[in-house]
Amino acid sequence: MPLVNFTTREITCKLVYYGPGRCGKTTNLLYVHGRVPEDRRGNMVSLATQSDRTLFFDFLPLELGVISGFTTRFQLYTVPGQVYYNATRRLVLQGADGVVFVVDSQARRFDDNLESFQNLQENLLEQGVDIRQLPLVLQYNKQDLPPDLILSPPDLDDAFNFRAVPSHPADALHGAGVFETLKALSGLVLQRLATRPPSL
Amino acid sequence: MRALEAWVEEPLTTFLSESAARVTLLMTSSGQVVAQHGFTRALDVMSAAALGAGIMASTFELARVMGSRPLGAVVHHGSSVGVYLAAFETPRGRWLGLVVFGGETSLGLVQLFFARLAADLANAAPTAEPPRQVLAEDFEAELNSSLRALFGR
Repeated sequence: MPLVNFTTREITCKLVYYGPGRCGKTTNLLYVHGRVPEDRRGNMVSLATQSDRTLFFDFLPLELGVISGFTTRFQLYTVPGQVYYNATRRLVLQGADGVVFVVDSQARRFDDNLESFQNLQENLLEQGVDIRQLPLVLQYNKQDLPPDLILSPPDLDDAFNFRAVPSHPADALHGAGVFETLKALSGLVLQRLATRPPSL
Repeated sequence: MRALEAWVEEPLTTFLSESAARVTLLMTSSGQVVAQHGFTRALDVMSAAALGAGIMASTFELARVMGSRPLGAVVHHGSSVGVYLAAFETPRGRWLGLVVFGGETSLGLVQLFFARLAADLANAAPTAEPPRQVLAEDFEAELNSSLRALFGR
């Protein structure tokens, strides 16, 4: 549940980008970091290996502005996508208010996407969270690649979007769909907060 | 000092004056900031909280994997400052404290007064209040406009 400070009228939400290795989670955060004015974001923290693969998490705090009289902040996290790092993925997922599942649209990565999506459900369930109850947005990344290499958004919807959650085609490297994805998830998270107020 | 809830302020003020800590950050185990003293920028506080929560989460997990009892605290000692990071239970769940201290105090004093802070917070925590309405029904227009402004669209 987002943290709400009624005294200083602040809301802080934790949003996690999840998905298989090299699907573009960190690229999403890098694009946001590059586009948002400096006074509205903190430094991007990246705990990465020497070859720039995410080891623990990337973290980017954003100050959205005032919504309904509350200064609203988002904490954007990524998880390490490699199968090997499931223990750290579980840790980063703790307390998530919403998840973006980044799908690598390349046909050859289909099984990796599926495995990561199942892993997300398992890790949430371990924390007592039913994925059906959590704000979730799907992002079909790398849609800029040649059509013969990728699956189309309708095909990916058929495979992954059985809950009919918002889904967005994206090219995170150049920014297409990044904003729309973040907008969709923040809307869902705040909508949930509006309908299920926190007890303090 | 900034605290999410007023009842945190008195125990934290006492801790700060007794321990002579330079920076103190209290957070939930998922890295949400509850109170802080010593930071000047809210966004930096969030980064410190994310890192502190990550360290403690991995420490707990490491202990579990090793079949050891949970390690309740981690200490980093540098040449000029030290960092004490510890978990404690409150009626609001497990919280974490991150304390940065210098040569004007010692690890022993920080540990001593931190244990008292944890006990004081556990005693001071009020029972949970009923849910309160946060957002107005028309928040989405404001959200969209804020996001557009943020992304320059």
